Amino acid sequence: MTPATAPPPISTGVVFEARGVRKVYQTGELDVVALHGVDLALNAGELVCLLGASGSGKSTLLNILGGLDVPTSGNLIYKGWPLDGADESKLTLFRRNCVGFVFQFYNLIPSLTARENVALITGIARDPMTPEEALEMVGLTARMDHFPSQLSGGEQQRVAIARAIAKRPEVLLCDEPTGALDVTTGIAVLEAVERINRELGTLTVIITHNAVMAEMADRVLYLSDGKIVKSVRNETRLPAAQLKW
Amino acid sequence: MMISPLDRKLLRDLGKMKGQVFAVSLVMACGLAMMIMTRSLILTLDSTRSTYYQKYAMADLFATLKRAPLSVAEQLATLPGVATVETRVAVDVTLDLPGLSEPATGHIISLPEDGGPQKLNRLFLRSGRFPRSDERREVVLGESFANANGLQTGNSLVAVINGRRETLKICGIGLSPEYVFEARAGETLPDHKRFSVIWMNYRALAVAYNLDGAFNDVLVDLAPGASPEPVIEEMDRILAPYGARGAFLRKEQPSAQRLDDELRVLTSLSFAYPLIFLSVAAFMVNAVLARIVRLQREQIAQMKALGYSSWQVGRHYLKFVFVIGFLGTLLGGVGGRVLGASLVDLYTLFFRFPALQFTMDYGALGWALFVSLGASMLGVLTVVWQAVKLPPAEAMRPEPPADFKPSLFERIGLTRWFSPTFRMALRNIERRPWQAIFTSVGLALATGLMVLPGAMSDSIDYLLTFQWNSQQRQDVTVFLTEPSSGRGFHDLSHLPGVIRAEPIRSVQARLKFGQRHRKLSVTGIAPAANLNRLLDEQGRAIAMPEEGLLMSAMLAKVLGARIGDEVEVEVLEGRCPTLQIPIRGLVTDYAGVAAYMDISALRRLLKEGDTVNGAYLALDHSRWDAFMRSLKDTPQAAVVMVKRDQLAAFRETTGKSIGIIRKLYFVLATIVAFGVVYNSARIALSERSRELATLRVVGFSLAEVRGVLGGELAILVLLALPFGLLFGRGLALFIMSSFSTETVRLPIVIETSTYSIAIIVVLTAAVTSFALVSRMIGKLDMVGVLKARD
Repeated sequence: MTPATAPPPISTGVVFEARGVRKVYQTGELDVVALHGVDLALNAGELVCLLGASGSGKSTLLNILGGLDVPTSGNLIYKGWPLDGADESKLTLFRRNCVGFVFQFYNLIPSLTARENVALITGIARDPMTPEEALEMVGLTARMDHFPSQLSGGEQQRVAIARAIAKRPEVLLCDEPTGALDVTTGIAVLEAVERINRELGTLTVIITHNAVMAEMADRVLYLSDGKIVKSVRNETRLPAAQLKW
Repeated sequence: MMISPLDRKLLRDLGKMKGQVFAVSLVMACGLAMMIMTRSLILTLDSTRSTYYQKYAMADLFATLKRAPLSVAEQLATLPGVATVETRVAVDVTLDLPGLSEPATGHIISLPEDGGPQKLNRLFLRSGRFPRSDERREVVLGESFANANGLQTGNSLVAVINGRRETLKICGIGLSPEYVFEARAGETLPDHKRFSVIWMNYRALAVAYNLDGAFNDVLVDLAPGASPEPVIEEMDRILAPYGARGAFLRKEQPSAQRLDDELRVLTSLSFAYPLIFLSVAAFMVNAVLARIVRLQREQIAQMKALGYSSWQVGRHYLKFVFVIGFLGTLLGGVGGRVLGASLVDLYTLFFRFPALQFTMDYGALGWALFVSLGASMLGVLTVVWQAVKLPPAEAMRPEPPADFKPSLFERIGLTRWFSPTFRMALRNIERRPWQAIFTSVGLALATGLMVLPGAMSDSIDYLLTFQWNSQQRQDVTVFLTEPSSGRGFHDLSHLPGVIRAEPIRSVQARLKFGQRHRKLSVTGIAPAANLNRLLDEQGRAIAMPEEGLLMSAMLAKVLGARIGDEVEVEVLEGRCPTLQIPIRGLVTDYAGVAAYMDISALRRLLKEGDTVNGAYLALDHSRWDAFMRSLKDTPQAAVVMVKRDQLAAFRETTGKSIGIIRKLYFVLATIVAFGVVYNSARIALSERSRELATLRVVGFSLAEVRGVLGGELAILVLLALPFGLLFGRGLALFIMSSFSTETVRLPIVIETSTYSIAIIVVLTAAVTSFALVSRMIGKLDMVGVLKARD
């Protein structure tokens, strides 16, 4: 069975399980090892922060988790289904139905309004919420019919989040979601992410340089040189609204 | 050599977009190749002709008459403005070749009676020698006829000279500037197998036709700077008593006229068609450069921040255009040369020169470079200006999200149910209308270019059916050496195998209307003529009026006359009456110009009985050979035109050359169609890579993402097609009417299938180019694109 044919129910079990995941990029004559055998288990409903310096392998790991890339070796299991070695069409369906992405640059389609940017996904996903519901969750009901050029950076990023979660994904992957934003708008965006994690029970993985953000996570994974060097579980999660940096 | 860093950047940028550089250069090269090819062919024909005319003393004025004593020539020589006079005997004879069932026609021209060299219209000897002065039966044979029939020096052939079969010995093979286009008088197509010019000694010929001590053809060379009109007037005055049919200028001489026509056609082709290619190329250059400038916004800012002046930056981007233009000119120059050198051989089907050497028009190459660069520069100046005027600080900031608004369709509520991807396409088009218009215009031009080759072949097909099925139903047309009584027609109609015969009475005449005039034969045919039918534009038979003229629509146009106008008909034979005859109808025909009358009305005007000088004959095909054998033995039959052979000659000459040109146009138009679509798709891909990558990331399949890009392109293609077809129709009309001359015209017929083929080719080009580009969508680095700043 593939992710396409049977909708995985939202559950509390293990969502991702990685065993010895390695990723090697060939650039010219040089092999660059981005991931050195990562072992990892991520559970449903968790909010996980990946921290690490540039080049530590955070983005590579996130891309592999999200089906944008495949490991060179090792196993990656998503709810019992192997993602390592999956072909392009399987990965497309996986991304379409199970994963939401948020990037530092919002990557909205400038020619579509906020509502239409979200509708882009609701048109193809299996069991989506309406664009209006998704935008309501990020607090943008009032700005639904604005084009990206008419929205602030924070608003654009919240549209990107609405777009990512409209399909009710099992997993939300955020790569530096506040990197291009000032503190206030950054916190508003994190509040939206937090709300989705809480209300939809979506496994949320956030990549950040900003150690402060780790306080809102259930778990913090520290990466260095392509390996997870430390894993810290927070006793209590700090609400995003109380973060300061 | 040190290459500046900016030039290094230029080379590498060009390297990265080599596909597009090549596509644009190729389209440009197509236009330039056409231009250089036609300009070079013009130069080749024109210079070869001038040299030939000059070296072999082509006469300025020509006149034919019945018979004048040689002393009249001295009178002509004393006229002011006349430099040289040469008199000749020229007659049409029937040739009997063993390998040819039907009789061929020979036009025998005498060599000077004093045995000296020719002064005018000198013969170029390809092989052999001139006839010995004491030899009565030696002849120089026209080269094309000799080649077509495999005759050589030393062979002989039988001619019926004034009713007597004579065996002529070929002592040389030659050609003359007077017969560069070698065809029977009034014929628009060469038939090298059945028509030859022959030169022989004066005495033998003159004696046979009772012209000893006399002439029936005269050539005049004018003194430098002399005006021809007064000389013609004087010549006509002097020669009128001798049955002259009116002197005429070199430009009215059939062969020279035909060459002029060809040059005129080439001249119009050398501008109109290439210009469209170059416009397409200019649009493409604009699109390419606009994209580079947009993508390199930050680099421009960097350069300016480093201290490069606006002029230096602008020059850097203009160099892109230079490189593309230079490459296009180079390819076009080489292509034009190769095409021209191979097409020049086509002209040997029609025109005979001692040598036709392809001459490259290097001047045209310079013009080509100037025109193509000029057009491209105009296309990019605004883009470059926008790039350089941007303050560095602003350019370094990423461009804000492009400003969009609901498209017009949406504002009027038409698109509520459109999918988001289709809306993306519509809004993109509306946001950059000029870019969309440029792409569509390029595509429309490419579509239009595809219409012309098809239209050419449709027209040829129509012409063949019209002329040889609907209009000419006779199998053979026979003209007599001399007008004859009804007896002559009776003889012809009783030749073996003749099913139906219709008489012809034609006279040479000059038709005048206002200041304009033309010399041609007025042909009298039977009112119920069913063999050579006169048709209107729709192919319906026109009833012959009891009195008055029917004439070629082209003739009426040349004369500036309309139905109902009275034209002055100055008969150039017999008693030479001058008559006022009204035009009663216009005939559609595609070769030469003609005027017709009811045969009885013509005879009444000429005050003669049942005179005929030819007949249209329909034959029982099973008795074809018997008919031809008898015809060969009919000494009065001077000119025999066999429809079947004319059709074959047409296919062999005009059909063949138009066929080749059509294929060439087709290939060039296809290249343009591919180039334009490929270029547009590449540009769309590079500008939209971020959007496309986003769609991939959020879960659109490759096919769906291709659909987004393809949708936009499809809208532009579909938008362009109807305009393209309309434009193609206009272009075909324009170019094919420029083919229209007094000697040959093309009907303008465009079948639906031609439009369909144009659409199919453009769509195929679109799909193929898009397939090439969409392979690149598969290779998009999703993450790389998304993490990069705009």
